[in-house]
Amino acid sequence: MAPVARHTSRRSRLRRIPFLRILFLAVCVIFVVLPLYWVFVTSIKPSDDYLAIPPVWFPDKPTLVHYTAALFAYRGLNGLINSLIVSISATFLSCLFGTLMAYSLARFNTGGQHLSFWVLSQRFLPPIAIVLPIFLNYRVLGLNDTHVGLILAYTVFTLPVSVWMMFAYFRQMPRSLEEAALVDGCTRWTSFWRVAVPLAIPGIVAAAIFTFIACWTEFFFALVLTSRNAYTLPTVFRAFLSFQGAQYGEASALAIVSLVPSIVLGVLVQKHLVRGLTLGAIRG
Amino acid sequence: MMTGAAADVGPKDGRQRPSARTSDTWFKWLLVAPAAVLILAISIYPLLFSIWVLFVNYDFQIPGHAFVGLKNFKQVIFDPVAVYSLWVTVALSTINVVVEFLLGLAIAMAMANTFRGRGVLISVLIVPLFISPIIVGQVWVLMLHSPFGPTNYLLSQLLGYEVTIKWLTGFPWNFVALILADVWQWTPFMFVILLAGLTSIPPHVYEAAELDGVGPWQTFWYITVPYIAPMMLLAVTFRLLDAIRLFDTIFIMTGGGPGTSTYSASYYLYTIGFTQFHLSRATAGAWIFMILTLLVVFLLVRRLLTMESK
Repeated sequence: MAPVARHTSRRSRLRRIPFLRILFLAVCVIFVVLPLYWVFVTSIKPSDDYLAIPPVWFPDKPTLVHYTAALFAYRGLNGLINSLIVSISATFLSCLFGTLMAYSLARFNTGGQHLSFWVLSQRFLPPIAIVLPIFLNYRVLGLNDTHVGLILAYTVFTLPVSVWMMFAYFRQMPRSLEEAALVDGCTRWTSFWRVAVPLAIPGIVAAAIFTFIACWTEFFFALVLTSRNAYTLPTVFRAFLSFQGAQYGEASALAIVSLVPSIVLGVLVQKHLVRGLTLGAIRG
Repeated sequence: MMTGAAADVGPKDGRQRPSARTSDTWFKWLLVAPAAVLILAISIYPLLFSIWVLFVNYDFQIPGHAFVGLKNFKQVIFDPVAVYSLWVTVALSTINVVVEFLLGLAIAMAMANTFRGRGVLISVLIVPLFISPIIVGQVWVLMLHSPFGPTNYLLSQLLGYEVTIKWLTGFPWNFVALILADVWQWTPFMFVILLAGLTSIPPHVYEAAELDGVGPWQTFWYITVPYIAPMMLLAVTFRLLDAIRLFDTIFIMTGGGPGTSTYSASYYLYTIGFTQFHLSRATAGAWIFMILTLLVVFLLVRRLLTMESK
């Protein structure tokens, strides 16, 4: 009985979607997709086509020359490799340290509310206010324009995300298994490392992906803290600022190279999105 | 649903032996240590160090670090561009957040009921969230380019006459362009959070209202809004605190121009600090900006906490 009833009510709801609502959602989808389609199609257009009126919606002779130019002539490949090195390292450190801290906050209430809010407050500081002092200190330490410098900066600025996401995850995890392990004679460390962490792997993976996307798409810190050596993919776009119009193919190709990985990862963790965006405050 | 930040996370210390409790103390602080040390070293220490920078000359154009008192602050406060950039930040972030909130709420309402293809539709609509803001800016440079971009062309086709808007260089279109890019990227943020709020409302509440003959507007104002008010406040708070950072799209779309007309606070401080290298003046401005931000944080986050504890 029940499934049938649900089925019919669902069908009637399907039929009740009014035309205006469909039109509204269709306009929204076009608004989202059109710019992305335009970048993609510009990236494969021969150079004559992107300065054509009316605009060319699909080129007769698609080409990949802009991709090779963007990756090699504009050194986008170096940026790509630097982005990978920095983002992966910072994600690893942030999630490792974040998980350790989150476990302590969730199970022992370490430092009370003050400590957890102190970490959270880092998320709300304006980047310009932090990056100036970091720049001055890195100058003394010789960390400007190094991978290590950028990795440390990214680790710190993503810690609020990883700590708070894992904090929320550990809090909703029952502690009975860890307590059973303690009763069986495990130390605190083994009950954490061998029992709690393996159970928290799904949460850690989600936190890691959000951290990675945050590092991968970050521009401001990279702009200030790197120049010729450790520059990341987003900062390569500076090269296209001075040439109005002429470099659109290369800029589009580089945009596609940069946005595809983060979009794929983002859609993969879609079901954790609400937790990720609100640092675990809302369970999606 | 909300998980209270101040929820019951108390340790069960009571039934443990004293020796176990001491080792627990060590253990819990050891776990916290790596993250805390890193934040202290990379964020807090430089901030404290920069307090010294505030009151001395730290400028790549003027050698030496002589004590200058409040000169750095005066130079920022009496710079008309600084004050102007602060107003640009306030205006743009307010408009952005309001537009994104209303649009995000409308989309969430339109999708609150399940229908075929809803999951796929959500996947498409959230895509802009995962793109670097600098690339979003670059994408809109391509879209809005005059005369070769598709926007003016499509508008001409729709309106029936030739549209030749200079989106990136003409007032007020340069502001419209910046808003467009921001709304494109961040409306999904509002949409996703508000949709989670809407779907958490139990259907029987609506059914009861329908039985009592309550109209759709009343249902919206007296059931939907109060129910998702905490999520609304959370979404607006988080979004606003990011919106006031506004830098990347300005950097790539207008370069602050024409002239200094699209300078945001972050962009202004960046040019003072890193293209003119008046580092101590930029630091003074950054501290003023940070304190103003923290006031907003304090007000909004406190509202959020009192709402959550209810």
